[in-house]
Amino acid sequence: MIVRPVRFTDLPALMDLVQQAGPGFTTLPTNEDRLAHRVRWAQRTFAEQVERADADYLFVLEDDDQQVVGVSAMAGAVGLREPWYNYRVGLTVSSSPDLGIQRQIPTLFLNNEMTGQSELCSLFLRHDQRQGTNGRLLSLGRLLFVAEFPQLFGDKFIAELRGSADEHGCSPFWDSLGRHFYKKEFSHADHLSGLGSKSFIAELMPRQPLYTCLLTEQAQAVIGKAHPNTEPAMKILNAEGFAHQGYIDIFDAGPVIEAPVAKIRTVRDSQALVLAIGTPDEQAPVWLIHNRRLENCRITVAKARMIGNSLIVDRLTAKRLQLQPGNSVRAVPLLRQQQQAVAA
Amino acid sequence: MLVLRPVELTDLPQLQQLARDSLVGVTSLPDDTERLRLKIIDSCASFEKDVEAQGPENYFFVLEDLTVKRLVGCSELLATAGFNEPFFSLRNRNFNSASRELNIEHGVPALSLCQDLNGHTLLRGFHIDSALVRTAFSELLSRARLLFIAAHPQRFADAVITEIVGYSTDEGQSPFWDAVGKHFFDLPYTEAERLCGLETRTFLAELMPQYPIYVPMLPQAAQECIGRIHPDGQEAFDILEREGFETNSYIDLFDGGPTLYARTSNVLSITQSQTGTVQRRSSIDARGRYLVSNDALEGYRAIVAELDVQTGQPVGLSTEMCQALNVTDGSPIRLIAL
Repeated sequence: MIVRPVRFTDLPALMDLVQQAGPGFTTLPTNEDRLAHRVRWAQRTFAEQVERADADYLFVLEDDDQQVVGVSAMAGAVGLREPWYNYRVGLTVSSSPDLGIQRQIPTLFLNNEMTGQSELCSLFLRHDQRQGTNGRLLSLGRLLFVAEFPQLFGDKFIAELRGSADEHGCSPFWDSLGRHFYKKEFSHADHLSGLGSKSFIAELMPRQPLYTCLLTEQAQAVIGKAHPNTEPAMKILNAEGFAHQGYIDIFDAGPVIEAPVAKIRTVRDSQALVLAIGTPDEQAPVWLIHNRRLENCRITVAKARMIGNSLIVDRLTAKRLQLQPGNSVRAVPLLRQQQQAVAA
Repeated sequence: MLVLRPVELTDLPQLQQLARDSLVGVTSLPDDTERLRLKIIDSCASFEKDVEAQGPENYFFVLEDLTVKRLVGCSELLATAGFNEPFFSLRNRNFNSASRELNIEHGVPALSLCQDLNGHTLLRGFHIDSALVRTAFSELLSRARLLFIAAHPQRFADAVITEIVGYSTDEGQSPFWDAVGKHFFDLPYTEAERLCGLETRTFLAELMPQYPIYVPMLPQAAQECIGRIHPDGQEAFDILEREGFETNSYIDLFDGGPTLYARTSNVLSITQSQTGTVQRRSSIDARGRYLVSNDALEGYRAIVAELDVQTGQPVGLSTEMCQALNVTDGSPIRLIAL
């Protein structure tokens, strides 16, 4: 398996993936023309022909038979072309010392504070491939790319996780809030978001803070709660240092998790090593390895041994990376625990 | 004979009984001896005060049955709402939700805390014995205040407002309060209303929601309370509506009851009342019912009377009427047909 930049020839495979992903996968369009546009745009991004404000790093996960089985992406920056909105869950205190009353009322503050930060988005892995190291490679491969090219990104990365919804795709948070201003079902808003109209819908919402006590109990209960389907993705990012700091999606109240780039484990702990070919033993830790290229970027996972400043991998791994012995790689142990083992 | 007159300190015991019987939500009438005593003293001082421009004066009137020396109602007139403490209300206006790109534009009603009604003259504390509801004496109790304004315009603002008691159940539950105020005040509705009549109102400012409340987000029962009148408040509403008062976009913070507003230049009893002079008569060939006041200040009196009023002629009053109004031949009076 490798992670590499999307190519135009991946389009049919991408359409299959998008259809399998179904509703709720808002950042990847289901319309073929729009998807084709996004692929072309990603190609221009990897060719360094677009500004950071428009940069869309779309990667695919490809098996050794050149089958595309997953997709993930990063936006160079959010909110620089059209406003990017979140709610911050803050606090309002209603207090009268004379009456001995103190009420703490969580309050939603609309903001554009994530403007200019980079975003992890659009991750989807085919159901039959959700095993082994595939999920981590697809998700963390992006972060190793960031480690290699930090100048292409903001100081901070965010990821918006899908919020709670019932089995019909209805969001209790939307029903209690957004629906009153947009007057349409969540699925409709969600669909428009995928078409890039999220900021338009956001502009229908009030600018003033909102008291959560005026939302339905069901809506209050899902604030900052990720959809169960996104939990595996969330766990991977949490282990990387991503944390929920009180920002949520304005439609479904899903958590926005964030991390300063310099503190993301994969970025912080990755190092440049010299590729060597050998036979790593069975107990060798699994590494995430990047060939340090931009347009011809290839990232994979493999058992490897670090000796001095060399990283010993097997021949197939080198082939997957399209590298020769003596070439430079950027690598980091795939799991934090293994990293500790390596350090020991 | 029933007469409306300024309250006196000796009215205190009877007034407290009235306060006890009055509707929760008539917040200016506290069932508290000391507080009521202060209100009376304050009112007496207001009537005595030489006023050039409206200030904090509060004019407290009682309706007395002269034959049995019993108080059967009371009402108040506050010269300036928000003079000493801000007068808060909720403004119900549409938040304009619009997107040109999505071709959407619609209004979402939102309630915002405001002090827009500061500075207006406020009618309040209307309470009448249940036996007299929907009689000419309710009209007297309410409208004599307007005749008082007509007689002493320099003491009042150019606009008059009043808050009508909003809906609550017989058990004292207000759906509007439960959906809005309770979150911020942590008190039952009746307790909040009681505090409003009793304590300094600074707690209101401390506890009230500072950000808008969007109406569609409220439970249906609470939404239905917006501008809804308590059945017992309907008469007070009807009397003033006939006077030319109109509802506007302001509602009461606690129970969602409506606010009535009128410019004094549009109030019937102020603009249409006539002045005249008294002529004492032994018999009156009554042709119509009138509210009659003596246009005085501390000695202000108003009654309901059956009269024969002829344009350009002195107004004939019976001895009993003259005694009730404390007037004699030649005294100025003001009257309006019922």
